[in-house]
Amino acid sequence: MLKPKNDLLQGTLALLVLKTLVRGPLHGYGITLHIQLVSKDILRVEEGSLYPALHRMEQDGWVTAAWGVSENNRRARYYQLTAKGRKQLADEEKNWERLTQAVAQVLHFA
Amino acid sequence: MSLLSRLRAMFRRERLDQDLDEELRSHLEMRAADNLAAGMSAQDARYDAQKRFGNTPLLKEDTRDVDIIGWLDECARDCRFALRMLQRSPGFAAVAVLTLALGIGANTAIFSVVDAVLLRPLPYPEPDRLVRIWESSIKYDSPRNVVNPFNFLDWRDHSESFESMAAISGLMTNLSFQGQPVAVQGMQVSTEFFSTLRIPPLLGRAFSAPDGLVGQDQVVILSYELWQRQYGANPKIIGAKVDVDAAPYTVIGVMPRGFSFPKIKSEIWTPLPIARTEEWNSGRYLTVVARLKPGVSLRQAQQDMLRVANLTAQARPDDNKNWSANVFPMLEDATRGVRRPLWVLLASVGFLLLIACANVANLLLMRGTGRLRELAVRSALGAARSRLVRQLFVESLLLSLAGMAAGLLFAHLGLNGLLALIPQNAPLPRSEPIAIDARVLLFTFLASLFTAVVFGLVPALRLSRVDLQSALKQGSLRGGVGGHQTLRRCFVVAEVALALLLSVGAGLMLRSFARLISVDPGFSSEHLLTMHIWTSPARYRDNLKRSRYFEQILAEIRNTPGVQAAGSTHFLPLTEKISGSCFSPADQPTPSPAEAPSAQFLIISSRYFQAVHTPLLSGRDFDDRDHFEAPPVAIVNHALVERFYSGQNVLGKQLRVCWTIEKPVEIVGVVADARQAQLQDAPEPTIFLSNSQAPMYFATFVVRAVGDPLQIARSAEAAVHRVDPDQPVSDIQPMETIFSDSVSSPRFQAVLLLLFAGLAIALAMIGVYGIVSYSISQRTNEIGIRVALGARSADVVRLVLREALVLTAIALLLGLAGSLALSRVLQSLLFEVNPTDPFTLALVCLLVFAVSALAALLPAQRAGRIDPIVALRYE
Repeated sequence: MLKPKNDLLQGTLALLVLKTLVRGPLHGYGITLHIQLVSKDILRVEEGSLYPALHRMEQDGWVTAAWGVSENNRRARYYQLTAKGRKQLADEEKNWERLTQAVAQVLHFA
Repeated sequence: MSLLSRLRAMFRRERLDQDLDEELRSHLEMRAADNLAAGMSAQDARYDAQKRFGNTPLLKEDTRDVDIIGWLDECARDCRFALRMLQRSPGFAAVAVLTLALGIGANTAIFSVVDAVLLRPLPYPEPDRLVRIWESSIKYDSPRNVVNPFNFLDWRDHSESFESMAAISGLMTNLSFQGQPVAVQGMQVSTEFFSTLRIPPLLGRAFSAPDGLVGQDQVVILSYELWQRQYGANPKIIGAKVDVDAAPYTVIGVMPRGFSFPKIKSEIWTPLPIARTEEWNSGRYLTVVARLKPGVSLRQAQQDMLRVANLTAQARPDDNKNWSANVFPMLEDATRGVRRPLWVLLASVGFLLLIACANVANLLLMRGTGRLRELAVRSALGAARSRLVRQLFVESLLLSLAGMAAGLLFAHLGLNGLLALIPQNAPLPRSEPIAIDARVLLFTFLASLFTAVVFGLVPALRLSRVDLQSALKQGSLRGGVGGHQTLRRCFVVAEVALALLLSVGAGLMLRSFARLISVDPGFSSEHLLTMHIWTSPARYRDNLKRSRYFEQILAEIRNTPGVQAAGSTHFLPLTEKISGSCFSPADQPTPSPAEAPSAQFLIISSRYFQAVHTPLLSGRDFDDRDHFEAPPVAIVNHALVERFYSGQNVLGKQLRVCWTIEKPVEIVGVVADARQAQLQDAPEPTIFLSNSQAPMYFATFVVRAVGDPLQIARSAEAAVHRVDPDQPVSDIQPMETIFSDSVSSPRFQAVLLLLFAGLAIALAMIGVYGIVSYSISQRTNEIGIRVALGARSADVVRLVLREALVLTAIALLLGLAGSLALSRVLQSLLFEVNPTDPFTLALVCLLVFAVSALAALLPAQRAGRIDPIVALRYE
């Protein structure tokens, strides 16, 4: 299989998506909007990365997908977090905190 | 992702494709709608949405890669791409496919022979339980000796390991069709024969216990082929009477098509009327086959037979002292003597295939280096290493499958040539047809896959490991792939070493064959016609009558125009037939048969030696004086005198012989030695008796013609028919044919090995040529500088040659080490040549070295003519 070129970024995208889905099922477009909104436009998710990532997460069993109808009456594919996805999210959150702490320590030390 | 979900995904692929399309469309529409709401124009809204997506097809591709993968789908794509790549370089593809086709074709042809002869189970139910049992004698160095009838009866009655046991005695049989006498090869078998093999007749019944007993109806079973040929496939044949050896026999059965017994041809079976009467207690001549009881191992059976042989030795020590018994699996027994040559041939073509693989691998590496830029670009565009490896491997696989297709064609043609090398009447171990069947096809397919892995995977892995980024950056791809050069050198060294190995094998075989056919057989085959007759016991049971009969035939033949001389012998030389018996000096007390010295026995007519040109050393030949009632006489050969009467005058000495003659025989002549069983067997001590005094039921006439022996074939046969019109004559052929057939097996091996070695050297030459050319193309710049700095053309040639010669020297050393290591394998196949024969080794090394040097010299000379200006602009 394709090996991600940049583990950090790939991992971050998964983390962000999983976290977004904690609030409830959402479609791909909704996910990009949410992340952009909450991060105050700092983080923009590339569609080109999002869909492969979503489908990979589906394959890995972190999310399930089902067709539904959006707020403005469009057919859209909704992604929902699974138990496995929640556990993964917890792991990734922990990792992320460790990582940012470590980076912060290095920055403060210098 | 598991293979299963990939496969599932593949079948759902269409629906998933639609899903993905729809999902992405809905995303675009939502984005466009939001854009619109934010105040963009409709067109901008759509454009922006699309732009954010970037490359939609790539996105789809990536996404689909994740969930459907379509692993197989990608393979199909790889195949199409590979085909395009190969189409683009037809020269490379042609050379690679041809090389592989040679290797695969040769392997297929040889494997089809190996499979048909050695691997396929014998065509009987539960063939693993079938064994052959032989008498064995350490004294006579005979682990597989034919069996004495009484011993067979004891074995059958006292052994405990066998379900059933049968005895066989091969005989010619005279039949008569519409007044035409015909001799066919027949078999006398004990009644358990067919039930031991577990093959029931197609029509009628097999033999049952009373068949063959005195007073019973004489019965016969026909082969399917004889029934078709001579009896018009008439089903009413069962119960009909036919004349067998001039006596009426009732046909009770017809065997199924193709039924046969290994190594003993037969078209007609009659019961062997074996019984515990004195008539049967002499000599050893039966072949014994048995079926093991279920669950009994070969070891147990062997132990059991040693016990029974001990019993027979105690019961009849005169005959059986120093004799024991040996049990061998029937398949192993039938294929004895051809197993090793065939495995050697298969191993040789295996080496040939490896050489072909190395050659193609080198071609691929060379071509791959040229494709580094393409690979680098693809990698930069995001292709994973596994994708590149797979792409390269699929190309190899395609090459190898194309090679397989062409190879099968080669194999088909080659097999016909191969089978033409086997003489028509050779006693093949197996009679099943040798053909390219499903098993062989499977082997070929697996060999091709193996080939693809060997020649394709290594270069693929190697190429994909190159630092492609830096390769791209450099702009020039030359010099950036040093690692391959080492790999390619290894391939070339392996090729040349294997080619040397094969050439040494071929050289040894050739030398051995040359030695063999230059052996003086002790007789002359030229102008000699041979023909065989078997006299029906019903008509010539009386010894005197039979002896007269043979004399009359000889007289008629000698009177035929074009005939120079004629005689007869009971076993023709070089037909692997010998008979032996014991003898002892008449002036000493009689030892028991088991203790007495033994010699080969041949029953010949007068003037036999004159006909075959074997010189008489002293004394006289048999002549008219030695008629049936006259005092019995014998002629001995030089080897017998040397062994038993060295330095003495043997003429006039009396011998007691364990043969049909009761009275002592007087030695009247000594002849020079001649080869009997095979050309390679040194002459054994031999006692010749006169057919007039100890007449056999069969004889082979040897007729020396003034001109072409085949010219007198008709008239010689007519001469026989003038004496008895009902006498069938068989096996009419020139002695030169027999001579040639007798060396067909070593010739077969020598010709094939020579062919394989030739191909191997040719392939290795291409390999050396390739690496030198390539190396020059890599060093054009350097060479240009050297020339510019004053190097002469000869210096450049030397520089280039040195590399090739060093490689060749390494290869020769490796190859020599290999052939020394394998020398024991060839030992038993060689005649009067040592497998480490320094002459052959040196000659072959020289040859391979010279050929390699030549292959290197051609491109090297080109390097010598390099124009420095052109060379320096080359980059």
